[in-house]
Amino acid sequence: MKYEVYRDIGVTDDFSLFEFFSIGKNGDILKRVTFTRTEDDRVYNLAFGDVDEADEIDDYVVTDNGERNKVLATVAFIAEAYTRRFPDHWILFRGSTQERLRLYRMAVGLHLEELSVLYEIWALVDVGIVKFRKNLKINAFLIRRKIVTLAYETCHQI
Amino acid sequence: MKRVTKYKSEITGTEVTFTVSEKLNKLKGKVLAPKKLAEANELLRKLKTPLPK
Repeated sequence: MKYEVYRDIGVTDDFSLFEFFSIGKNGDILKRVTFTRTEDDRVYNLAFGDVDEADEIDDYVVTDNGERNKVLATVAFIAEAYTRRFPDHWILFRGSTQERLRLYRMAVGLHLEELSVLYEIWALVDVGIVKFRKNLKINAFLIRRKIVTLAYETCHQI
Repeated sequence: MKRVTKYKSEITGTEVTFTVSEKLNKLKGKVLAPKKLAEANELLRKLKTPLPK
């Protein structure tokens, strides 16, 4: 998996909010990514989009700046950095529209093998939470860093 | 002085610079995508199974 990403990203000191400029055919557009704690304090909602006049994230706007893959790869990069800082946080994300959710499903499905090395990838479906697999109809993604457990050998001195 | 962190992707090896922004720091704690958060909470409330262990 090798996609271009935006390399200069602004961040809060608590690593909860990020921003970068998308540079494309319609100019420089400020993008913001946020991780917000949900009612379940183990789960953080990932939202991203353009910054509107109220300084909020507009995730319905169609920017059409001609660099969709670069923006998505940058958001994926941010999620990777975030989950390195907070490996115990579950990240919930979904598209603001069915089309966007389908796009994310395809992107994750396409890179499932590589992503699965780093993440547990689950899906919220109508009946609950299941392991994500390609072509599964889902309502949202739920991911978390894989917890690496080290096995220690106990040495006994005789 | 700028507070900068370099991060190298474990998946792609790409390196990115994160710079702490005082402008962004002022937005800490504000819910910037309230509708999205409400939808996430709604999905979690409807869950019939617990989070994976």
